[in-house]
Amino acid sequence: MTGSMARVWGLLVQEAYLTRRSLEIFFDIIFFPLMNVILFGFISEFLGRGSVTNNSEFLLVGILLWEVVSINQYNVSVSTLWSVWSHNLTNIFIAPVSIVEYMTAHLVAAVARTLIVLVVLAAGAQVVFHFNLASVGWLNLVLFVVNLTVFGWWIGIVLLGLIFRFGTRVQAISWGVIFLFQPLTASFFPVGVLPEVLQKLAWALPATYVFEAARAALTDPAVNWHAAGMAAALNLGYFVVAGVVFRRLFRRSRETGQFARNDL
Amino acid sequence: MTDKVLEVKKLTKQYGAYRAVDNVTFAIRRGQVLGLLGPNGAGKSTTIQMLCGLTLPSSGSVKYFGQDFARVPQACLQRINFASAYNALQGRITVRENLIIFAGLYGVRKPRAKIDELLEYFEIARLAKSKYWDLSAGERTRVNLAKALINDPELILMDEPTASLDPDIADKVLALVEELRVSRQLSILFTSHNMVEVERICDEVVFLDHGRIVSQDTPANHTKRLGDATLILHFRGERALVERVLVSMGAQFVLPAVGVATIKAKSEAVAGMVAAVADAGVNIREVEVNKPTLEDVFLDIARGQR
Repeated sequence: MTGSMARVWGLLVQEAYLTRRSLEIFFDIIFFPLMNVILFGFISEFLGRGSVTNNSEFLLVGILLWEVVSINQYNVSVSTLWSVWSHNLTNIFIAPVSIVEYMTAHLVAAVARTLIVLVVLAAGAQVVFHFNLASVGWLNLVLFVVNLTVFGWWIGIVLLGLIFRFGTRVQAISWGVIFLFQPLTASFFPVGVLPEVLQKLAWALPATYVFEAARAALTDPAVNWHAAGMAAALNLGYFVVAGVVFRRLFRRSRETGQFARNDL
Repeated sequence: MTDKVLEVKKLTKQYGAYRAVDNVTFAIRRGQVLGLLGPNGAGKSTTIQMLCGLTLPSSGSVKYFGQDFARVPQACLQRINFASAYNALQGRITVRENLIIFAGLYGVRKPRAKIDELLEYFEIARLAKSKYWDLSAGERTRVNLAKALINDPELILMDEPTASLDPDIADKVLALVEELRVSRQLSILFTSHNMVEVERICDEVVFLDHGRIVSQDTPANHTKRLGDATLILHFRGERALVERVLVSMGAQFVLPAVGVATIKAKSEAVAGMVAAVADAGVNIREVEVNKPTLEDVFLDIARGQR
């Protein structure tokens, strides 16, 4: 093999090596399409049952509230990657900033960004689709947002811990893993659509209670305190566990020298 | 009050079976510039990472201003800063915005005034509104130094601050560092692969190799310890005559080419040797004296001859 063929072969070999070793490529070309198929499969099944009349509202409330999870998680874990990519993370941690202060700032920024985006999206849904997010009830909305925010936080905290521990080679998880929770929390369809085994898993996740309550609130805006309480209790438990896991990963990252290498 | 701004004792970092830093002990006094040198993999970066708190030591202690770094990291970090060619600031935001962030992180009382002062000092006021990633390497280095001074540190850790700069800009940066040291009584821990820079700027040099300190002294004493200078004589005339004179003096020499003699000699014996050769009637055209430099010491250590 000579000339042009050899060069094409060289580039193909490069693609093969990268595909095998790159988590980003795995997420982009395998994980996301797979999650899309699974998610839209469940949505189709739900729509096919024709069990509810306000399908579009079911979907819109799920989509809008899902953004609360997504933006919070993104802000907690991906924001740090901006510092890593800028080779600036070291500068920040050489300043007298404790990890608690660092995390607090990111959680506050996550909430601020989420609220801004949610207001914009809700306004857009009202104007374009005549869907009023507040129709679930204001108290409900506050409870939903708070619970989904904490849900996004603890996922983000664990993912950030993994990024600190293993570096940018696992960075794709920071924007990818969250999509695993889209079908698992039954964000766009009732939990009953999931297979039984996944239903059990779904009820172990706080966001599932929120999305179920949100759909129910479209017809009856009375607060479902059981769902709110279950979501809050699970969130509290997971948040504490996430804190412990993060602490260990962060410490291990500093023990192995990975934390300093993250910036280089 | 202790005169030592940094005291490192028996600092060790073990990665599994590999010991990256092995019982390293040194101190920096107020106003002193200490060079930390060594070949790649010697343990410089790991040492600096431990001094910054980015990597946890396996054993040993680090004290800043008499305070235990492990116990009160934030109090220590408040009084030091860091500049490196390998770190940067946020690229998408402006120089001033970057400095505002760090003024916040260090709790600078009058951030605007401080930032203006630093921008003036480093002659980068015109860049205040430029995005960091639009700056040249030299401009970035100045901004990095401005960031490193934002909290009026008493000690700066400088990890190859002039790497990737052209000689002109590197010289200007070094001049700034020298000035800072004098005007602010700054203590500096300085690493570089440029031995000329190190000789110019450092009061004391610690050589690391395989994680251990192999030598610690002033640059002058380091080179003295290496011993002989190399004297290169370019002469016209009889090779045998030169050989005879040098043998009679007991000199260590070679005659590598026609009209050239390369002689190993103590620095203080060079003048007498040249005079003796001239007195013997040799027509000397040119004299070159190469004294050992820090680079020779570095190479000596890096090649494991010591």
